[in-house]
Amino acid sequence: MNVIDEFVSKFGAHLSLKKSLIIENKNRYFLLNENLRRLVDKNFFYAGAYLGKIKGEKFFPSFILLKMIANSKATKIYVDAKAAWLFICRRDIFKQGIVKIEGFKKKGAYTLVLNQYGECLGFGRILCDLYEEIGKVVIKNVSDIGDFLRRER
Amino acid sequence: MSGKEFFVNRYEKLGWKYEDVVPKQAIRINIMNADETRVVKRLESLGIELERVPFLEHGYWVSKTKFSIGVATEYLLGYYSIQEAAAQIPATLFSELKDKTVLDACAAPGGKTVQLANLMQNTGAIIALDVEKVRLAALANHLERCSVTNTIVYHLDARKASQLKTKFDHILLDVPCSGNFAADKDWFKRRTIKDVERNAELQREILAEATKVLKDGGEIVYSTCSLEPEENELNINWAIKELNLKVEKVNCYGERAKTNIFGKQLDNSVADCRRIWPGTTQGFFVCKLKRANAL
Repeated sequence: MNVIDEFVSKFGAHLSLKKSLIIENKNRYFLLNENLRRLVDKNFFYAGAYLGKIKGEKFFPSFILLKMIANSKATKIYVDAKAAWLFICRRDIFKQGIVKIEGFKKKGAYTLVLNQYGECLGFGRILCDLYEEIGKVVIKNVSDIGDFLRRER
Repeated sequence: MSGKEFFVNRYEKLGWKYEDVVPKQAIRINIMNADETRVVKRLESLGIELERVPFLEHGYWVSKTKFSIGVATEYLLGYYSIQEAAAQIPATLFSELKDKTVLDACAAPGGKTVQLANLMQNTGAIIALDVEKVRLAALANHLERCSVTNTIVYHLDARKASQLKTKFDHILLDVPCSGNFAADKDWFKRRTIKDVERNAELQREILAEATKVLKDGGEIVYSTCSLEPEENELNINWAIKELNLKVEKVNCYGERAKTNIFGKQLDNSVADCRRIWPGTTQGFFVCKLKRANAL
């Protein structure tokens, strides 16, 4: 469970997830409610809200978890329509695509990437000062919702 | 006992004249995740022309689009699912879903599971099974994309559902079937009556198992996308006689099912099932069942 708290904290955020309702299965983490907790058998394939998985040493969050973080106080950048589309296509974000910044902006930190409607499209890593760099990639794409298409290829 | 002529002849005996059809592509708005009017407006602003399906509450036909509707941001955000119009009917036939325990016995790739979760507003619990492990990944992706949080998925044959040691308020049996020519251009080349009979037997086994895990007063919705009466009317007639089930009246799209199949007279209540011949939708069959002694 620590792995989830640790991941969430990289956005300067905190989620109050009840530890007893988080279960792990083959390095994948799921958040249940009391009803599902009562029903679930150890041989399940998927259950409740999928939070993410550990591969090697690294945690790969689900988009359900990212949405939960986006609904809390966290580091977020809002991008314009063009940058949003390119981001979903696995591209990085240039300074000129950013329309708004929330939270801390430290180099190396994670930030959620939201579109003009405030919808979470994924997350990236801040590469440099978000206020100063012009004409350069400032957010490195780490994960985006276009992954739903790439997974099933 | 195969080939286009053989099957078309059977359809004519059942009262339908064969015609080549191309069912329209359809979507269903996931109302749990987004406001329907807003999603429709956003899709229309992308140049996607939608037409409301008259017999569905949240279903739309895609009349025109310049790109695949499976790549739009709104799709990736789980605001809609791509689901054939007739296939959107079964989940809507349960009488009350909120807070119930529901079995989706043949769930992958998950279109109906997500629809059930929407109708349940993520309350209660859905137990979703599928026998094919490779299809479970697609089901899991669908659940994640659409933010479904009330479902437990098992790799389990529906014929072993009693291993779960749970009784269900509602059971969706969208059983594996022979399919139909409207959804598969090579259907007539590939299918024989032997396939149909084999599928019908599997479906009866699933129906029998479902009856064991159904709560008293619970409901089973049975559906196939097959046009063959062995998988439809004849199986339901068998379930009435052998499993002590009764057919409930439903108010949905489709014509009353047949009660005389190639000279064999069936229970009159089989007419309360719905048969959909291919046209704007694919071919389909659906009905709602309860225990005969249920109140």
